[in-house]
Amino acid sequence: MSTYATELPIRPELDAAHGDLATRWAAPSHSWSSKQRLSVIAEVRSAIDADELAPWEAPSSIKGFIANNHCLPDAAIDVIWRLTNHPGTLTKDWYESIISRNIDAVAYVELIGLVAQANCVDRFADGLGVKRVDLPDPIATKTAVTSELEVSVTTHWVPTAAIKGPNVLKALSAVPFENESREILSSVQYVPAAALIGDLASDHNSLTRLQIELIAARTSKLNECFY
Amino acid sequence: MSGASQNVDISFEAISSSTNGDGGVPHGELLSKLSEALWSKNLNELDAVREELINAAGADVFVDAVGVSAMFHMMTRIADGTGTPLDAGTDEPSADIRETIGVNHLVSRRQSAP
Repeated sequence: MSTYATELPIRPELDAAHGDLATRWAAPSHSWSSKQRLSVIAEVRSAIDADELAPWEAPSSIKGFIANNHCLPDAAIDVIWRLTNHPGTLTKDWYESIISRNIDAVAYVELIGLVAQANCVDRFADGLGVKRVDLPDPIATKTAVTSELEVSVTTHWVPTAAIKGPNVLKALSAVPFENESREILSSVQYVPAAALIGDLASDHNSLTRLQIELIAARTSKLNECFY
Repeated sequence: MSGASQNVDISFEAISSSTNGDGGVPHGELLSKLSEALWSKNLNELDAVREELINAAGADVFVDAVGVSAMFHMMTRIADGTGTPLDAGTDEPSADIRETIGVNHLVSRRQSAP
């Protein structure tokens, strides 16, 4: 069954990847329950759809903005709104202020991965004018598996694993599951990992590499991203 | 780099604004306009550029272009949410390009330690 109902020619692998992502969003982790992970996606949707708050207006600072029974900590909701609507304004001081509010650094990395994926998948649907991906029901169990991956703070604000490649591909390496989700989307919406640096000439799907890089660069500039 | 590897004449101005032409990229101006409409969430602009791009290049180009732009709404948030610095060795070679496209002043500027 297709993820999207539309007459637009969405490639089957892209359609399937977005369906897979929704399933992955419901998978509980060591840091966040299934319900919390799905709440992150729902909160991203609220942040995209709402009148934007100014960068300095954290949801937690506005009385009554966050429901008392929300399953996410206030600091996580502040991250979701700021990262969704003002990604270019983040600073290391801001990151440290979030971590000081009892958000573990690895849990923070996972949160960044989820927020970023939701911004990708939902903005794709919004751009095409199709219904956003349905979210599955939460999974009741919580995984007991603790990652034994060795991570440390070296080049980024956040801890990363010692993997090779461009810094942006290392950014989520403390949470391999989220790095895999990023790669799933990258391979169907951008270029396969092998072509990222090694092959700058080949066309991908209906676009030339020049067209792809123009869209990538223009979108990055609009988001005020130096990287 | 992509342009150089294909031996075509491109310019970087289209990265700064859709009003700067196509940058030597086929349908570059429309693709830049599409990126702007997606970012601003302006439905009227999006409807207009969607129709224009589909007529000029086809529905598959429109869908794939939206996919690439959406992808970079993800990558920028990963980079800026994690404090990802510019890769070592890319600072100097990219200096002229960064100046041309006007990104040196950005809050998100982070360079690798020397």
